[in-house]
Amino acid sequence: MDVTAQETSTRTLSYSEAIREAMALAMEADPTVILMGEDIGVYGGAFQVTLDLVDRFGPDRVMDTPISELGGAGVAVGAALTGLKPIFEFQFSDFATLAMEQIVNQAAKLRYMLGGEASVPVVFRMPAGSGTGAAAQHSQSLEAWFGHVPGLKVIQPSTPEDAKGMLLAALADPDPVLVFEHKLLYKMKGEVPAGYYTTPIGKAAVRRAGSDLTIVAASIMVHRALEAAEQLAGEGVSAEVIDLRSIRPIDHETIVASVRKTGRLLIVYEGVKSYGIGAEISAMVAESDAFDFLDAPILRLGGAEAPIPYNPDLERAAVPQVDTILAAARRLARREV
Amino acid sequence: MPVEVILPKVDMDMTHGTLATWHVKPGDMVQKGAALFDIETDKAAMEVEAPATGRLQHVLAEPGTKVPVGSVIAWLYAEGETVDTLPPVPAPGDVPAEAAVPDAPALGGTEQAPYAVPPQGMAGHASPMPGGSLLRATPAARHAARTAGLDLSDVAGSGPRGRIQKQDVDDLLARERDVAPPRPVSGWVADSGPLAVTRRPGRDAPLVLIHGFAADSTGWLPLEKALLPGRALIRIDLPGHGRSPKRKIRDFAHLARMVLEAFDEATRGLDGVHLLGHSLGGAVAAAIADIRSSRVLSLTAMAPAGLGPDINGEMLAGIARATRVESLSPWLRQLAGNAELIGDDYAKAAMRGRADPGLRSCQMEMAEVLFPDGVQAFDLRPAFARLSMPASIVWGRRDQVTPFRHALSIEADFALHFLHGIGHIPHFECPERVARIVERQFAAVEAPG
Repeated sequence: MDVTAQETSTRTLSYSEAIREAMALAMEADPTVILMGEDIGVYGGAFQVTLDLVDRFGPDRVMDTPISELGGAGVAVGAALTGLKPIFEFQFSDFATLAMEQIVNQAAKLRYMLGGEASVPVVFRMPAGSGTGAAAQHSQSLEAWFGHVPGLKVIQPSTPEDAKGMLLAALADPDPVLVFEHKLLYKMKGEVPAGYYTTPIGKAAVRRAGSDLTIVAASIMVHRALEAAEQLAGEGVSAEVIDLRSIRPIDHETIVASVRKTGRLLIVYEGVKSYGIGAEISAMVAESDAFDFLDAPILRLGGAEAPIPYNPDLERAAVPQVDTILAAARRLARREV
Repeated sequence: MPVEVILPKVDMDMTHGTLATWHVKPGDMVQKGAALFDIETDKAAMEVEAPATGRLQHVLAEPGTKVPVGSVIAWLYAEGETVDTLPPVPAPGDVPAEAAVPDAPALGGTEQAPYAVPPQGMAGHASPMPGGSLLRATPAARHAARTAGLDLSDVAGSGPRGRIQKQDVDDLLARERDVAPPRPVSGWVADSGPLAVTRRPGRDAPLVLIHGFAADSTGWLPLEKALLPGRALIRIDLPGHGRSPKRKIRDFAHLARMVLEAFDEATRGLDGVHLLGHSLGGAVAAAIADIRSSRVLSLTAMAPAGLGPDINGEMLAGIARATRVESLSPWLRQLAGNAELIGDDYAKAAMRGRADPGLRSCQMEMAEVLFPDGVQAFDLRPAFARLSMPASIVWGRRDQVTPFRHALSIEADFALHFLHGIGHIPHFECPERVARIVERQFAAVEAPG
């Protein structure tokens, strides 16, 4: 594991507990770290991630903002410019569309436009993804939008351990970082080291080694891919599963090395399939020296070309699931594509 | 308007043809009806005549390119006609009848995709289509084939729509490896001489091996294994064979001089060597032993050429021009006394060594020079008769290429070994028996005192 500081022990924590622990650790160690967002104070946040932090650090450092994403994000960017390290929570990452001006035109550009004289060390926390019955305006996976913007870093931790380590790495980063947290992951439990550590941004993790095909997955899709890989192993197919973790910067090296080894690539992500991170990764592989080692077309599994439906069956069908990953991986491994 | 040169359909179920050679260089004039290019199909090789008198321009298919029937592969410009940008390519179905080769039946169906053409503005630049580029194959399969020196058109694809996957290439290579490792590299070192010479270091006087017509040095492998281990070996590839340069020869003496030059280079500084030659290589070995008698300790000639006029010319020509395993295999089976020894894998490995159309055409020319009208045009009997070192002739009594009775015509004290049940390739059919014969000869020469 990419742990840069010595930890003494691990405990089982949920993904949201791990995030809360990271925020508390950072706030204890650094008085410039503040939290901002709608209903993150007494209410504890839309997904109860900040929970009781307002009691521990007071309303001056855990600030409820008005229902204006553009205003709140603007204050966070401004605060970062003055030297504070704000963590701004969107209730749903969908609402970042209201704050695009601040994220894309201000936060991402200012260090460049000010000749490096200033930086914007803001962290945006982005609850994302479908599966909660929250319908079209509260279920999107827009991470690829931000992956397109130089000046931003975009990460998608998939485990409690990474959720903590990557949030601490984001806080230590001098530039704006967007953390996409899948809403279905908040309750997921896992071993989390105690104490302070960072997990590097821009480094993918090989979650399962394999030789027949490479599955690159992001966020919750990592877990579905791992489940599929387990079943594939029973069928004699050895799938390597790579947890992308960071989409900007992206870990070119790990992906290319894996494809060179397996010759087959399946990319699984929840965002709408077209113009998404799958397109970026497949193009990157086609342009790399792994091209000569491709032994099948590259396959992408992404979200449907439709808004996320409210109907639970349709909602499930709109994004990759274990069975769809299995089917695609089998077709790749059996040379049916 | 320039006249299109079309790849004609010359046989009923032909969909593609491989352009073998152009008889006319780009920019040169050609008369209507003169030979313009050769094509090879699944079944045959044939010459195609120029459809019009004109200057050849915009050659789109390089030798070795596989092209769909009906494709435009070049244009002929009338004298004085301006040659500028590439003319538009009609779809195969739209080809005007007069542009097609007169004798050819109707061109291929319209379902075939038009042959790839370089974009406008690239006029005058040939577009080399690497062999097999029209096949479906994954990048990994192409890479593996390239690395192994394999022609993808020899590989059967198991993927969707016949796509060749890496596994298909690996399977083919594995099958061939089981029969005869095509390049047994380990222990062999390549010399940089006029011909391809490989040597395996060892002790004692080296044995120099010269293979026969349409073979190459890899064919010695079974014998190498059967010989007592440790002896130094030197293998020479004849010109236009194996890895040697493709050279035109004028006659047998010219060929023998080329090999002699390589022999001198390869044996420089050595006190003496043993010589073993097979078939045409047997004749070359005898010529070398005759000229360098002081340096050749012993000679073994297996089914040597040059001892009589008879030779199975049809078979030599058939082997030299075969473009596929199917056409090569029936001839190869006649090589052995027991045809069952020559399986599909042997034929595939042999075809793989002959995948280069340039090599095949070089050998066809060589056969024409050495064995015109199926007759051996050179006589080595005087050379054999002059030999002063211990010499043996080894011949299979079922040889269908050159009759073993030729051995009886030598007017000298030779050891003659006639092998029962064996054909033209004793070193493949019974390498142990051949090894025993040469080892006995080594022992006789090298015995102390």
